Amino acid sequence: MPPFSSSQSSGSKPNKRLKPTSLRTTNLNSVRNDAGPPSKKFKPMPSLSQPPKFIVPGNSNLLSSSQSNVKGKGKEKATSTSRAQGNENDQLWIDMYEPTAEEDLAVHKRKIENVRSWLNEALDGGPGGRLKAYRRILALTGAAGTGKTATIRVLARELNLEILEWKNTVDESFAGDDDHDDEQGQSSWRNQDYEGLMQKFQAFITRASTCRSLFSGPPPQSQSEAKPSTKTSSTSSPQLNTSSKRRIILLEDLPNILHSGTQQQFHAVLETVAHSRDLTPVVLIVSDSGVRGEASDDRMASGRGRVKETVDIRTALPSSLLGSQWVTEIKFNPIASTLMTRALQSMLTSLSSSSLQHPSKETLDMVVESSNGDIRSAIMALQFACGARQPSFEPQGKKRKKGTTGNSRALLEAVTRREQSLALFHLMGKVLYNKRKGDPPGSSATKKDIQRDKELDAKIKDPPPLPSHLQLHDRRSSRVDIDAIYGDSPIDSSLYSLYIHQNYTQFCNEVDESEAISEWLSWVDYSGGEAWYQANPHRFHLLTMGTLHSLPSPVTRRSQKIFKPEFFDVLSKHRECEDAVEDVLEWTRDASQHTNLLGGFSRSEVATELGGVLKALDLTGRHTVPPSHRRFSLLPFVKQTNSTGIALNEDDAGATEAPDDVPTPPRRASSVDRSRESGGWLEEDDIEDF
Amino acid sequence: MSLWVDKYRPKTLDDLHYHEGLSTRLKSLADSPDFPHMLFYGPSGAGKKTRIGCTLRALFGQGVEKLKIDQRVFLTPSKRKLDLNVVSSNYHTEITPSEVGNYDRVVIQEILKEIAQTQQVDMNAKQRFKVVVLNDADSLSRDAQAALRRTMEKYMTNIRIILCANSTSKLIAPIKSRCLLVRVAAPTFQEMKTVLEHVAKKEKFDLPETASHSIIEDSNGNMRKALLVFEALKMQSTDLSGPLTIAKPDWETYCYKVADMILQEQTPQRVMDVRAKLYELLSHCIPPTVVLKTIADRIVQNVDEALKADIMHWAAIYEVRMRNGNKKIFHLEAWVVKVMSLYKHFFYDIDMTGFDDC
Repeated sequence: MPPFSSSQSSGSKPNKRLKPTSLRTTNLNSVRNDAGPPSKKFKPMPSLSQPPKFIVPGNSNLLSSSQSNVKGKGKEKATSTSRAQGNENDQLWIDMYEPTAEEDLAVHKRKIENVRSWLNEALDGGPGGRLKAYRRILALTGAAGTGKTATIRVLARELNLEILEWKNTVDESFAGDDDHDDEQGQSSWRNQDYEGLMQKFQAFITRASTCRSLFSGPPPQSQSEAKPSTKTSSTSSPQLNTSSKRRIILLEDLPNILHSGTQQQFHAVLETVAHSRDLTPVVLIVSDSGVRGEASDDRMASGRGRVKETVDIRTALPSSLLGSQWVTEIKFNPIASTLMTRALQSMLTSLSSSSLQHPSKETLDMVVESSNGDIRSAIMALQFACGARQPSFEPQGKKRKKGTTGNSRALLEAVTRREQSLALFHLMGKVLYNKRKGDPPGSSATKKDIQRDKELDAKIKDPPPLPSHLQLHDRRSSRVDIDAIYGDSPIDSSLYSLYIHQNYTQFCNEVDESEAISEWLSWVDYSGGEAWYQANPHRFHLLTMGTLHSLPSPVTRRSQKIFKPEFFDVLSKHRECEDAVEDVLEWTRDASQHTNLLGGFSRSEVATELGGVLKALDLTGRHTVPPSHRRFSLLPFVKQTNSTGIALNEDDAGATEAPDDVPTPPRRASSVDRSRESGGWLEEDDIEDF
Repeated sequence: MSLWVDKYRPKTLDDLHYHEGLSTRLKSLADSPDFPHMLFYGPSGAGKKTRIGCTLRALFGQGVEKLKIDQRVFLTPSKRKLDLNVVSSNYHTEITPSEVGNYDRVVIQEILKEIAQTQQVDMNAKQRFKVVVLNDADSLSRDAQAALRRTMEKYMTNIRIILCANSTSKLIAPIKSRCLLVRVAAPTFQEMKTVLEHVAKKEKFDLPETASHSIIEDSNGNMRKALLVFEALKMQSTDLSGPLTIAKPDWETYCYKVADMILQEQTPQRVMDVRAKLYELLSHCIPPTVVLKTIADRIVQNVDEALKADIMHWAAIYEVRMRNGNKKIFHLEAWVVKVMSLYKHFFYDIDMTGFDDC
């Protein structure tokens, strides 16, 4: 990896050193030919009916440029047009048409304004110059492809800022994926002094504030070709203006903060940044990555130690900074379809010079619709659609149109299928409302809905009639397509079962229905073996079908709310209680001065039998019983419990969110506005003291 | 200060108050050159661990009482770390593999191999072997039991294993056949009375007859529980005279109330309420099996004769599922709902033919 890569502040991807690695290219070819990264093979475009493949012209330039993509997130698969011949067509549209001015941004005006005012305050101190001390860290959050990075880059260009970006790179000695590294090579790097990534990160932050850029002016081409040194942090210094003194640090490619040690160090660095007045302000970009609730919850259930497996703002920022005056969070919402359509259209206009055929309005709408507010994926899909339409393109006639739309829809769906396209909320609704063929439409259903239901019903086949002794299992056929929801489900079957468990009672009228569902839950949880690899692979289907079969049809609507499982709260309470038991166990051991051979209590004995004595000891007040014992020894029976848990929202990605992870209200974003206009911002008081 | 249970725990086989026949046998076993693997089983609070301790002392002498507690870290094949407390002396090691749940096999293999591969270095030791005591042997997973079975034969020269379990039914037959089975029955009324009086004498006060009776009655053959209750009572009222009310532990009363809730109303809403209570119990570290058993006992007391068998039948089924499944609450709740359904149908006298042939 190169030590320094230069990039325009507009962010166009550096076209840099390409190792003549035919080796690597072949690897890619053989391993992930159709998985996404461009392959070197050149194939004629397949017809529309075939499953889409990402085909690019045999230009290894593209390969390296997409690999060293600054924003290189895994899901950005490189696509290109088969027709592409010229140089510009080798590039991705998202790179070619990255917005350079505010008008081009598809982000809401207010958000841009918020970010701009923060930047101004951070660098100039805002009105009176006093806010500067508090504009230390800006956290931009939001789903992927909502224009966070683009906004910063555009504004940096506008305000004439220098962006210093941290990038994690792999050490030279590790990076060599040529297989020439034999034992000797391995031992040689072990002997070298190895500077940890975090040390480099720390150094980067401090140096960023004190050191000037070496490369003033457009960096010479040779620089990017320069011999890679062992230094791994790379700084992208836009060559906008050499005299530019104002700079910000952009942290997008975070160190691996899921590793607790790294996280601590990272937090420590951020704390320093927050509390110092000399260091360069930091802009932190954290994409909300939805979690797939994978085996982690099982692990949590069976073992100790809760593993947090997502990067979000709560892991990126230490709790002391989160919500403090030094940190401003601006949340980017998914891009509204009107804004996105406009942006895409303007992009297409600028594209008109090229030989590409313009996509139809329908295609554009479809792209926008399927992108879920992710502009990056929308542009990708659009580029793909434009490319893919070429071979079988037909003149637009009324007859043809329908077929083309259908085809391209299928194609686009295949391209743009997002993992979380089915929100958890809708998944639960789909299953628990148990809609069946011929259900009367709901009171709020529009004509369109009714029409759609009718069409759907027409497609569903009726099940064959059951023999008389099975009559009690007779149900109308379900409108739920289990395979489809299984494919789209954002959560795995274990977490899914917890959600069903938490919510099914509200949808039952009779205890018998509950009985059937709980029996299914129990059976599904029990089926399979002790180890994970023996687990029943059909749990999701079994549970869904069991639930659908058992629920009444139609489900009585009584404005049910869907809640998140309490399971995890209980689990964490349980863990605290285990600690308390451990304390008491320790105490009994100490009390008997360890003389007790094998007399020790077991945990369950402590929890179930020791309560009385402990309470009595507490009353006498003379003893040193650990007070934490009350966690398990006291258990008053409260008649009314109002532990309803947290309701699930429609826009919830629906991961295993702990209670402290309750989504931050979007209110935070507007706080910047308020502080400027009314001065009602809390920290104003503190500022007067300076 | 130490609890009476610990303070007056017999240290040698001669000090034991009951099961004299067993004590003499253990003594002669410890003196004989061929000490076998052993499996102590019997109800909770009968004195299994006390007897194991006394046996160890008879085997190795005083040195076995010098204990140290280590926290050992084990690595599973999937690179997860497991913490386990290991109590050990120069002559023996005591572990509770159930503390690490499903990973007990790793622990069993690692620990046993490690101990078995080092010979006794103390030349003055009375025995050439070390002893490994496995508590809670009946909650060992199948894998762990299978691992144990091989180790028991292979390292017979260096180690002896003493298992401690509540019942033998959850142990696989090969293990049972490799051990000398020792049943430690719960003490009788009279035996418990002797022990209580012994403790009272040591503490230098008189134990009234009525008090000891009510304590023993309450304890249900559990010596440890009796002593704990005894101590708690003594702390609250010094003379122990007059009618005594022995307070049940909170969780037990709680379970009873949950049982009542189940019988009062059988609706989906009530299922929700009961679930909240069950969660509360579980989060207080009450083992789910105990919860199920306590509630089932209570329910069975209050329902019609015809329902009792069914309720217990389902309790047994869901208890098995609970052991194999991951999420205990599913199975507890499934049983509760089952009981509700059974009760409701019985109550409304609906024809149930062909209903429960699952």
